[in-house]
Amino acid sequence: METDPVLQTFIIESTEKVQEMESALLQLETSPDDEDTVNALFRAAHTIKGSAGVVGIDNIEKFTHTVENVLEKVRLGEIRVSEDLIGLLLRCCDHIGHLLKSLNAGKDPEENPELQTEGQAMAGELSAYLAVEGQGVSPEPDKETTEQGGTPEALTWRISLRFGRDVLRDGMDPISFISYLSKLGEITGLTTLTDAVPPAREMDPESCYLGFEIDFRSDAGRQAIEDVFEFVREDCEINITPLPATAPPRKTAGAEAGKQAQTREPGAKGAGTIRVDTDKLDQLINMVGELVIANANINQQARRIGDNSLLESAFALSRLVEDIRDRAMRVRMVPIGETFNRFRRTVRDFSRSTGKDIRLLISGSETELDKGVIEKIGDPLMHLIRNSADHGIEERDVRLALNKPENGVIHLNAYQETGSIVIEISDDGSGLNREKIVKKAVERGIISPGKELSEREINNLIFEPGFSTAQKVTNVSGRGVGMDVVKRNIEALRGSVEVESREGRGTTVRIRLPLTMAIIDGFMVKAGASFYIIPLDMLDECLEMSDTDKQLSFKRNYFSLRGKVLPFLRLRDIFNEPDGRNRREHMVVIRYAGGKTGLVVDELHGEVQVVIKSLGRVYRDVNGISGATILGDGTVALILDVPGLVRNLEKAAGALSYP
Amino acid sequence: MARTIMIIDDSASIRMVVSIALKKAGYEVIEAVDGGDALEKIKGRKINLIICDVNMPNMDGISFLKMIKQDPDYKFTPVIMLTTESQEAKKQEGRAAGAKAWVVKPFKPEQMLAAVEKLVLP
Repeated sequence: METDPVLQTFIIESTEKVQEMESALLQLETSPDDEDTVNALFRAAHTIKGSAGVVGIDNIEKFTHTVENVLEKVRLGEIRVSEDLIGLLLRCCDHIGHLLKSLNAGKDPEENPELQTEGQAMAGELSAYLAVEGQGVSPEPDKETTEQGGTPEALTWRISLRFGRDVLRDGMDPISFISYLSKLGEITGLTTLTDAVPPAREMDPESCYLGFEIDFRSDAGRQAIEDVFEFVREDCEINITPLPATAPPRKTAGAEAGKQAQTREPGAKGAGTIRVDTDKLDQLINMVGELVIANANINQQARRIGDNSLLESAFALSRLVEDIRDRAMRVRMVPIGETFNRFRRTVRDFSRSTGKDIRLLISGSETELDKGVIEKIGDPLMHLIRNSADHGIEERDVRLALNKPENGVIHLNAYQETGSIVIEISDDGSGLNREKIVKKAVERGIISPGKELSEREINNLIFEPGFSTAQKVTNVSGRGVGMDVVKRNIEALRGSVEVESREGRGTTVRIRLPLTMAIIDGFMVKAGASFYIIPLDMLDECLEMSDTDKQLSFKRNYFSLRGKVLPFLRLRDIFNEPDGRNRREHMVVIRYAGGKTGLVVDELHGEVQVVIKSLGRVYRDVNGISGATILGDGTVALILDVPGLVRNLEKAAGALSYP
Repeated sequence: MARTIMIIDDSASIRMVVSIALKKAGYEVIEAVDGGDALEKIKGRKINLIICDVNMPNMDGISFLKMIKQDPDYKFTPVIMLTTESQEAKKQEGRAAGAKAWVVKPFKPEQMLAAVEKLVLP
């Protein structure tokens, strides 16, 4: 840490403190009992010692430590202030001053024998004071021994935590400790203990009533795990016991666990896993899909018959089916951590080869995604990370000139958000240069010159085919495969991608992916004779269109949604359903990639759970349809490809505005 | 997105070392020289963590802590106290005032970072 500015600051500050000590000592000569002066003296020595330790100047730290010990005794009244003592302490100040001077000159005081002997002599005199008045020689601070018996191989531990009631009031967030714990290893299981939660009436919202049982796999030793909770140890019940390892059983660990297992919850089960053929899983999920369809049918029939007890049974069945569906889907889910970790190497190698110092921060490793999605998300992520490393993070000297930390940071984060999984790739680099983007887009004929674009529209230009603003093509990114491929890959997974950027501060690319690939919650509508499914997570609201609405809108080609312009599409027009304009129509507002679009339909049929059946090869590329599903009564409904439709609309709008 | 941490210490070099280490790790850092200065600078800001020296002129760490615990905006903000091993009595006083996290001077920047990461969610 001995970078020059720190050292300079330390020298200036400590020189000041030495002066403060001197003047305090001189004052003590006249009024030896003045408590404030003693305190000021102590504080100055204390600051020098503390700073020296942190900055890493060992000799000053050690010497001042002895001085401080003597002063501590003076403060406590164990040593009386005498002329001799003041004289000695003044000489000590001189000595610290000498040490500082030699430090400033860039010389190692260890190599200066005069200073050495001077220091030793004074330390001897000081310890005489400590020895006479106190209990022996100044004790060296007992540094905590952290490394003890840390076994190098990964062990599984069970950590039982009961946080104290006041933990939140003390500014401690239990979650942050658990999050820190996950840096030391892998949390393989976590149970929240809620038995201490009182009835709502008696509950104090500022108190913490929760406990956690954590199964934790790590090669860190017990001490390291205990240290995670060092700040809450005193108010917290913590029990750390080794669990029998799943792979090679360790006899000692097993026996110990047997002894200590009675702490809580019987049967400390290790995380047992079995390997299953993915085909078998897919079959199971397919069957679950059929079950969902059959169940929908039963519901429909029950409603038609209107028998109450039948309806009740059907409802109970639905709940079970839903549960089975969720669990079956979860079987296919795997944490994204492994995929994320692969990029550590990428970033490290990139740092080595380009001389940019880049750190990869990973969070949300435990977020789970469908196995199929994980397999396909690797390439787009790789591309985005390389983009960030290559075009985002600036060269080291540029960063320093901009007053940024010299090493750049790329942050990979994943989390779940209402029905979708979000993956973020952010960097603290230069951000998107909007002027350059617009210029390039005009050059490439993607937009017409002089067109007014919103910030978002400009950002989105980077996803246009044939776009690349890299000034020089490096061997890492910019090989012609652009962001448009990334976008297409993600949309093929029924996801969306958006980019947010602040110039000079960095860029965040946010990928939103559906939770599951096989079954979705949808909203069913009808246009003409056919049924269509809109993915529920994209639905914003539904409105009824009055006749005046219709007339106005169709003339202007947009709908006024509470005074805001809403572009819209008519499903009838898209799918060539025969026109029936006089009928009642509805506007379904969908939200996609930060914008809103309207879909005009005839009838609203409400929420349904549908199993996605992919279209045959012939229909695979049909625009606006991403799949089909079979409804309870056997009717086929088409699942709308919302991103595709919105893209069509944008293209059409573009075609209109630039002739 | 960036988490903001306030470091209160009368020693400029300690502030600097801590500040450099935290900034490197991606945090935003606000520096203050004592409790009074900190109260001025904290006003209206969202702070994720406070690192505070115990022994300071003007307003010391414990008095600052007591003030901050009364402010509904910062009541739940985690505080790391900085101390030396010779201040066991101070530590007791601090614990009573609600300071549970302590880092003993001298510390290495990595030790400080580890303490911070235990208390602040990424």
